Amino acid sequence: MIRSLAAILVCAALAAYALPSLAQGALVRFTGQLLDVRNGYVYFTTGDAFKLGPAPRFADYDTGNPTTLQPRAKLFARAILDPATKQVVELDLTTHRLAQDAAYASTAATYSATAPTVERAPEIVGVPATGKEVAVAFVVTVPPTTPLNANVYISTDASGWNPQAIKMDRIDGQRYRAVRRFASGTKFAFRVTRGTWNSVELGSDGLQPGPHEYYTKEVDAQEARTTVFAWSDDRGNTPQAAQPGAIPTPYNPNPFPGGVFPPSHATPPGGFPTPRPPAFPNRPPR
Amino acid sequence: MRFSVPLALAAVLFASTTSFAVAAPPTSLDVTAKSVDFFSDRFVVTADGDVSVRLSDGTVIRGQTFTMDLKLNRYLVAGDVHLDGPTVHEVGAAFAGYPDLDRSYFLPASGSPSRVTYFGLDWAHPDPKREQPGDAYYFPDLTGERAYIKADGARIVPRTNILFDMARVYTAGVYVPSPRYVVTFSANSHYFENAFAGARGDVGVPFNGSAHSLTALHLRNDAINGTYLAFDQHFVWDQDWVVLGVDPLTQEQRQYNLIGYKRWSPKFESRLFTQVSAAQAGIINAATNAAGFAQLQLSAGLKGSNLTLTQDNYYQYLLGLPYGLTDLNTARSDFDPRWKEHPTDGSLAFTGGQTALTHGANPLYLRPRFGVGYAHDVWGEGGFDNEQPGPPTLWYRYAGGSVYTPPIRLGAALSLSGSYDRQRTWFSLPHQLDNGDLRFTLAGQRERQHLRYYVAYEVKTIDDYWGAQQLAAYNPAANVVTTAFGTYSGQAAFRGLATSRGYTSSLVYTPTQFFEFAITGSRFYDTPAPVPGVYGQPPWQVTGDLRVRLSRQVLLDLTRQYYFNFANERWTPQFGIQFSP
Repeated sequence: MIRSLAAILVCAALAAYALPSLAQGALVRFTGQLLDVRNGYVYFTTGDAFKLGPAPRFADYDTGNPTTLQPRAKLFARAILDPATKQVVELDLTTHRLAQDAAYASTAATYSATAPTVERAPEIVGVPATGKEVAVAFVVTVPPTTPLNANVYISTDASGWNPQAIKMDRIDGQRYRAVRRFASGTKFAFRVTRGTWNSVELGSDGLQPGPHEYYTKEVDAQEARTTVFAWSDDRGNTPQAAQPGAIPTPYNPNPFPGGVFPPSHATPPGGFPTPRPPAFPNRPPR
Repeated sequence: MRFSVPLALAAVLFASTTSFAVAAPPTSLDVTAKSVDFFSDRFVVTADGDVSVRLSDGTVIRGQTFTMDLKLNRYLVAGDVHLDGPTVHEVGAAFAGYPDLDRSYFLPASGSPSRVTYFGLDWAHPDPKREQPGDAYYFPDLTGERAYIKADGARIVPRTNILFDMARVYTAGVYVPSPRYVVTFSANSHYFENAFAGARGDVGVPFNGSAHSLTALHLRNDAINGTYLAFDQHFVWDQDWVVLGVDPLTQEQRQYNLIGYKRWSPKFESRLFTQVSAAQAGIINAATNAAGFAQLQLSAGLKGSNLTLTQDNYYQYLLGLPYGLTDLNTARSDFDPRWKEHPTDGSLAFTGGQTALTHGANPLYLRPRFGVGYAHDVWGEGGFDNEQPGPPTLWYRYAGGSVYTPPIRLGAALSLSGSYDRQRTWFSLPHQLDNGDLRFTLAGQRERQHLRYYVAYEVKTIDDYWGAQQLAAYNPAANVVTTAFGTYSGQAAFRGLATSRGYTSSLVYTPTQFFEFAITGSRFYDTPAPVPGVYGQPPWQVTGDLRVRLSRQVLLDLTRQYYFNFANERWTPQFGIQFSP
């Protein structure tokens, strides 16, 4: 009995010696996206390189059978790594996207052959974004002279600066509002318009401001408030009656049929004809 | 010895320019590959197969695949990467460029694996110990995305645009070939400043672009010219821009527009609008008639306020006397007084900033404004365009302002706001014009029902005072007016004082992020009563606006207005499909 037990123990020790994975623990499995297989290393998009074993096996991820796929950039793979040798003994390849390996950092990364970086890079800043949907309320305060029925829009660089990209709704005497949902981390520039680039917001000093920068934070709901101090087509409030082509008063196109003023010396006999064809509007496009 | 100082200065200058050159990020990337794809929804460019990326300093990166996120402004070359330049020859697994950080990250495949950081375009001093972004070598997830453009190559100007060679643009289910196509993704909106008049439809084909320019051909349609081609050329800098437009390009009646903006200092800007309207058969034939317009605007930003000078000049008949005339002093039936002189007008306007009249929880604000101006021959040489004689030059000055409150909370769900705007304009004619606008708005919300609403009451007045000449200016007209829309009476009582009172109510319902419905109704009581086809607004107006998000990028916006048969107008439909982020 004791002899049998000793024989089993000796066999187990021999097997453990012959199979390092049993001696050191289980093989490590992790998944990731490939960058390259080169110079005896397999590189993953994490930037980590792992030493390939002397005769690594390339298999199909789904079936486990040998595959015709060659390891290359963009392919996804499950690597089987021997902790004893820190070498990858098998790569199971697939073109299908594999979920990011949550345990990668705690398991596989420790076996990376890539030399660690020890020098801090202060230029690398930022907050990790999960991409979760966030309800974002844009609230724009407009000048009090903005007509009640005016349409107000948000134009963004993400929409090719379409001046009518996001239509807003008036919610009270001075404010417009629009709600959109964006993934956290979404970043874009925007400006407020009344539908065209001839009617765009001005800054508090009446000059053209730069676009607003927007960023979706890692929160449940967010509000982006903006104030429009003036509109570019409402500058100076030039009186309507003095505009070329306008009538002397808005309601009276023919104020002096009797002649408050003497006739002009340029008035020809027979009166004035229609002066210019309607297809030649000498005005800026609106 | 005597040249030592200049030589030293030259050496310093040379050294500084050299160091500047190597530290700067690449200004362009020329990408060639077996296939180049652009995913417009994600602003991502990919290239696969024999990829070659040439940076602006001549460095070439070759690899199996390339991807660039145009918005994040970072790119990646992966798989059998060869980095070759005047001072570098490396082989590696991946190369990631971060122009915004002025850094490049590299995974060399020679020797033991490491992460190498390059500073700018300085390839001679790699740093193998510096920390790198955790996702520097990640590929974007493009699952389910369809390429909007397929091409053989691309020239990318970071943060600005991408020019595709031999492009195939996905249009209505098929890829339409175009020798060149430019996609502008700049955060600078001035690439989209418009030099065209309004149109019913406009399809732009941008075919050339660089770090500061964009050239496009447009296929347009409008009610006057029908379907035609137009052309525009943009030049854009950080804040300044110039755009030249020819619209239409293929019709006889043509407009050449040149618009520009220059920010001279943080507090001073100028705008220029020039336009030549020409009668020009064909595309390159000489014009037979032309008129011009120029507007120059200088604007100074003061502390919370603004001072703007505007000057307009009109040039009639730039090509000389029209219709074969030789003598403008000879009266003839089709004489136009503007043949002899060109009108001008100008104004100097001060717009004040928001000033608190009262403080506390519910403050009252004032925004004043003042200005002076003139108009010379704006209605022809010494006359109005309604064929009546008038003064050659009209001077005016005005003063006005807005007094208003921010929304005052009336409980948890209601708010009240008010505003009063008043302006008086004194003319040299002599008369004075008073404009008034009083508005109260009661607004509320019901978050549980996803409702927001408001009711507004507004009184607008326009009063034209002529003093003793009031009855001469507004002499009793015929009491009955007959237009194409009917016969209307009550005109004789009008004496130059007009009032419009109106109620406007709106309700916005937003139950989900995919659906929104807004309805707005207005009722106006105007004096004088509106006459369809002559003046005035419809007394009743209802507008419905339905917005349904069909996909992540496509929003269907349907707007219809109902005018209750005013001027034979009932439903006015407007359908639109908008693309938004």
